[in-house]
Amino acid sequence: MSANLIKIISAAIIGVALGILYGWVIDPVQFTNLTPNLLREDYRADYVLMVAEAYHGEINADLAARRLGVLSSEAPAILVAQTLAYAQANQFTQTETNLLQELLSAMQIYQPQNSANP
Amino acid sequence: MKRPASRNLTLYLALALLAGLGAGLAYSWLISPVTYTDANPALLRADFKDQYRTVIAAAYAATRDLPSARARLQLLGDADPIGELSAQAQRMLAAGEPFENVQPLAQLAADLQQGFASIQTAKPPLTEIIQTPSAEVPVIETLPLTETPLAEETPVESTLAFEQTPLIPQNPLITSTPRPTVTAKPVIGQPFTLVGQDTVCDTSLKQGLLQVILMDNRRKQVSGMEITLTWNQGEDHFFTGFKPELGNGYADFIMQAETIYSVRIVEGGSFVPNITAPTCTAPDGSSYLGGLLLTFQQS
Repeated sequence: MSANLIKIISAAIIGVALGILYGWVIDPVQFTNLTPNLLREDYRADYVLMVAEAYHGEINADLAARRLGVLSSEAPAILVAQTLAYAQANQFTQTETNLLQELLSAMQIYQPQNSANP
Repeated sequence: MKRPASRNLTLYLALALLAGLGAGLAYSWLISPVTYTDANPALLRADFKDQYRTVIAAAYAATRDLPSARARLQLLGDADPIGELSAQAQRMLAAGEPFENVQPLAQLAADLQQGFASIQTAKPPLTEIIQTPSAEVPVIETLPLTETPLAEETPVESTLAFEQTPLIPQNPLITSTPRPTVTAKPVIGQPFTLVGQDTVCDTSLKQGLLQVILMDNRRKQVSGMEITLTWNQGEDHFFTGFKPELGNGYADFIMQAETIYSVRIVEGGSFVPNITAPTCTAPDGSSYLGGLLLTFQQS
């Protein structure tokens, strides 16, 4: 009887393993409505670079900060600093690095309008 | 023939296997599904895709790097990137966003359509205010990116043109200053030409909505331009600028189904025949009358 019980438990374990294999590898859940914080690092870096390029033309720190806020809840300056480090480690061009540096400088002194001095 | 005990064991084994399979699936699909940490932009939610497009267009407005903008748009996985840009621009206009916010999207869509970057409008990124002892008002020196601003809209006394503008302002006096608003006026005698004709399938807009945008040769919208619309049963006249919340050069008209219209810009002589309201397909598969966006620009 105990041998049969072992067989049944073994069958259940095999079933669980097959189920997990199917659900994680063969047919995992497909997400289609993701938020930007889940973007791969290179896409995040490119997004921040786009914000930097736009900032260079617009010189609007508030707008740049709001755009960066879409990507992460981190402080904009931290986000740009991380991207700058990524850019320097991944052979971004000097122009791109300069643009990120420019945005970083702006974000380091940026004060949200809501928390402006009364 | 198997004994009943053996048949029961087989049954129990099968049931245990199925129960385990079900538990495994429940765990892997519901309790602990695969989490995405390295997603690509195509998987973003629609509103974030809109934001992504907006930033692409804003970056393009600054760099005029059309190949980069095109490559970035492809990341979003849109079947028709130009159409998506136009549709988003229309949604933003319909939502009451100022044309200045929408213009980069429309500009990028137009440039993608024509296949090359249009001439950059003069938009100095840095404005330096220098106090001079001889003048009560500060002299504004404008440092353009790559080109000298056009003379008629340059409110400066002196212009310094550098080959390359320093990326990081070093002078603590440097500050961003809003540019004076310039009311665009059409260049008399220059014809308007059709630079964009886009189908707009957006259920949030009125059916059969014909939208017309007129811009001068610097891509600034011009108001007060008369547009004549003719069809086999009548004619109507309307003017740009009556809905400034949608842009100074904006005008619209509701088209009827299966009616062929001709659009003429009275001053400038541009004539566009055979305009009809397109048929669009809603997400539920039903058909409805779509709209058109006609963009004219002075050459």
